[in-house]
Amino acid sequence: MTQTMILPAAVVHTMDPNHPQAEAVAVRDGWILALGTVDDLQAIDGATVDSRYADKVLLPGFVEAHSHGMAGAIWQHTYCGFFGRTDPVGRTWPGCTSVDEVIDRLRAADAAIADPGEPLLAWGLDPIYFPGDRLVATHLDRVSTTRRIFVLHASAHLATVNTVLMEAEGIGPDTLTEGVPKDAEGWPIGELQEPAAMFLAGRTFRSFFGRLQADEGIRHLGDIASIAGVTTLTDLGTSAITAEATISRWAGVVDDEAFPARVSLFHNPRFAATGDMDEAAAEVAALCPRSSDKLRLGHVKLVLDGSIQGLTARLRHPSYLNNVPNGLWQIPPEQVAGHLGAFHRAGLLVHAHCNGDEAVDVFLDAVEEVLAASPRLDHRHTVQHSQLTTPGQYRRIAALGLCANVFSNHTFFWGDQHVSTTVGADRAARMNSARTALDIGVPLSIHTDAPVTPLGSLHAAWCAVNRLTAGGRVLGPGERISVYEALRAVTLGAAYQLKMDDEIGSLAPGKRADMVVLDADPFDVDPVELRDVPVAGTVLGGTHHPGG
Amino acid sequence: MTGGRLPLTVVGGYLGAGKTTLINALLADPAGERIAVLVNDFGDIDIDARLMDSDDADVMSLTNGCICCSLADGFAEALDRIRDLAGRIDRVVIEVSGVGDPRKVAQWGHVPGFTLDGVVVLVDAKTVRERSRDRYVGETVLAQLAGADLVVVTRADLLDDTVTSEVERWLADMVAAPVLRAPVPTAVLFGPDPIGDDTLAVPEDHASTSHISMSRRFDAPVSRGSIDVWADARPGGVVRAKGIVRVDDRPDERTVLQVCGATTTVAVDGPWDGGESAVVAIALPGTSRAAIVKWLKLLR
Repeated sequence: MTQTMILPAAVVHTMDPNHPQAEAVAVRDGWILALGTVDDLQAIDGATVDSRYADKVLLPGFVEAHSHGMAGAIWQHTYCGFFGRTDPVGRTWPGCTSVDEVIDRLRAADAAIADPGEPLLAWGLDPIYFPGDRLVATHLDRVSTTRRIFVLHASAHLATVNTVLMEAEGIGPDTLTEGVPKDAEGWPIGELQEPAAMFLAGRTFRSFFGRLQADEGIRHLGDIASIAGVTTLTDLGTSAITAEATISRWAGVVDDEAFPARVSLFHNPRFAATGDMDEAAAEVAALCPRSSDKLRLGHVKLVLDGSIQGLTARLRHPSYLNNVPNGLWQIPPEQVAGHLGAFHRAGLLVHAHCNGDEAVDVFLDAVEEVLAASPRLDHRHTVQHSQLTTPGQYRRIAALGLCANVFSNHTFFWGDQHVSTTVGADRAARMNSARTALDIGVPLSIHTDAPVTPLGSLHAAWCAVNRLTAGGRVLGPGERISVYEALRAVTLGAAYQLKMDDEIGSLAPGKRADMVVLDADPFDVDPVELRDVPVAGTVLGGTHHPGG
Repeated sequence: MTGGRLPLTVVGGYLGAGKTTLINALLADPAGERIAVLVNDFGDIDIDARLMDSDDADVMSLTNGCICCSLADGFAEALDRIRDLAGRIDRVVIEVSGVGDPRKVAQWGHVPGFTLDGVVVLVDAKTVRERSRDRYVGETVLAQLAGADLVVVTRADLLDDTVTSEVERWLADMVAAPVLRAPVPTAVLFGPDPIGDDTLAVPEDHASTSHISMSRRFDAPVSRGSIDVWADARPGGVVRAKGIVRVDDRPDERTVLQVCGATTTVAVDGPWDGGESAVVAIALPGTSRAAIVKWLKLLR
């Protein structure tokens, strides 16, 4: 079917400097045929006008270069985080800002489950925002004394469970696991810290994580993407894609016409049965032919350190405030060059999770060593998170041909905690320094790390533009970037880091007709309201996805 | 097996400390035990082809009853898999990654179906001191050592004995755990069988280079108070002890006493089965037998 559709809009922002704005876009076979005035485009033979977006604003669809498949799957469980979030059917769940609100949320969820044997599974609890108030089993017992309840905290390192669950699984005074805090009488209070302790929740633990593996979870990922205006996103190394069952599951859902986004699945060698990185690289390369228009394979994620708010990122001197020990390596530093080198020599693109500046040092040294031995043009290896990267490190990043994908959403969600608890006001002010990166000429993207923070490129852009914390403080005004720069970072900037910039990320003839449909012009609103611009839906390869 | 729970030993240590060498040696000669080893990377496992029974992506079976299981899907998956093999396995050994914290991994030894046997941390005699001061990994190496029940010094054969001894003294000053030199006998690595029959007898082989094993049986329940006293009085040379005893305040349950280096644990693991109430201790060569006897007699 070769039909040309002309889509007039209030304005089309192309993110293409040669032709920044247009009245309408002409689409054929999923590709952009032309941009211009409606009159110009009507000259195309056989073109018909579809005015559904006549009062809307069109931009290239947003590209999220650091998200995880679980961002959709997790919605099978009840949300009880501190900030409001929108679920896959477009319903916004208000944040639970106190323990009482968490209990109310869980009570409503409990009432909605008919089968008394079914556990109540919840996620997103972030007690960092209500200090002094610790959610424990006795709180959850107010929700139910008969149904097992398992509440995963936002960090994913901790869960709180109720008494009936502890009784069912034999968690009691004799439990030896360290991550099971007990009260003065020796009874566990209901907190299970770290995976070994969470595993004590037995079948409830298995049903929490087992359900995340269902096809439905991937479909939810598509749903939240179209609601957020995201047309291409990633699962950055959280699926065992070298396992046939896993890759088939992704392909089955994503390649279906109804799925509203393109997904780049990054391989994480953690899931490989081999520690031989050359073998792992061959495994990834073997997956590449399974790439399709919508499903992309062949990129690799390495994880060097932990998280800053979890105090597990590796920081340079003077490390964390209050003499907290430095963080944890996920790969021995002297092996990073070996890991990177294997994938690099195989021609693959590597994104390296480096939250702390010391992790960045290790990665940059590894890149330098690998490039000296195996020079390669246009590798586009990327520093992911890059939260504390210094100007000097950005100069090395530029010189080595690397990109940076900066975790701008952190400024809002944990900026106040970074000032008070992790690194202090001075270093917090230069965290996620997008301005520095751009001024030095580093190819930039910004991200949400969904589900760590909600999927939403306008929010990430708003963060980079305003650098406001949840507490209302402007953190490091010198690192703010313009609305144009921020929107470029969540479109072409991210597409570049996925090696998809020649087909998506801007609107131009010959590129894919992937667009976000907005109810207002993000260049016209007050920059402080950028995140509030409503997303009406998306267009993916010319197919309309209303979202919500 | 202890009360139906599989003993789980954690083997940690930085890159190049000899973890894989130890695992390969155990698989080649498991001393009659069917060991399940959980490793990050099959690639380093070096099995004589004659021992290979079957092999898939996640589990490799050996003709001697041992298996090798991948940790690629995480600890929860691997331990579920091992639990499904209950009855075909006697013991679990987890190899921790070079930057992993063995004390954290040891928490998996407390999940249902398993019992933590001990944390063994290997150190390369040649590099450990330098590594402990390294800008990037110094803290990691020191944290591994701090979490050890037993520290085993490897590659001593590549160094002058005085250098190794100096490293051993440096370690002994820093950590609470006994510092042993590889190769370490299986009975020390895994602890003795708690049902001994050489009650406080001097073993036949009392050459000064052999480890000493002594045991004690109890006809009556042991008092809780005496366990507390005993736990605090371990002679320095005792590296391992294991007991299954009947205790006066919980006479209907099996109480398991375990000493692994500096760590003593006392845990209840099931109903008293009418078996023997006994404890066995293993000490380094040269330890005073009188001191061990005196110590075991504290249990009453």
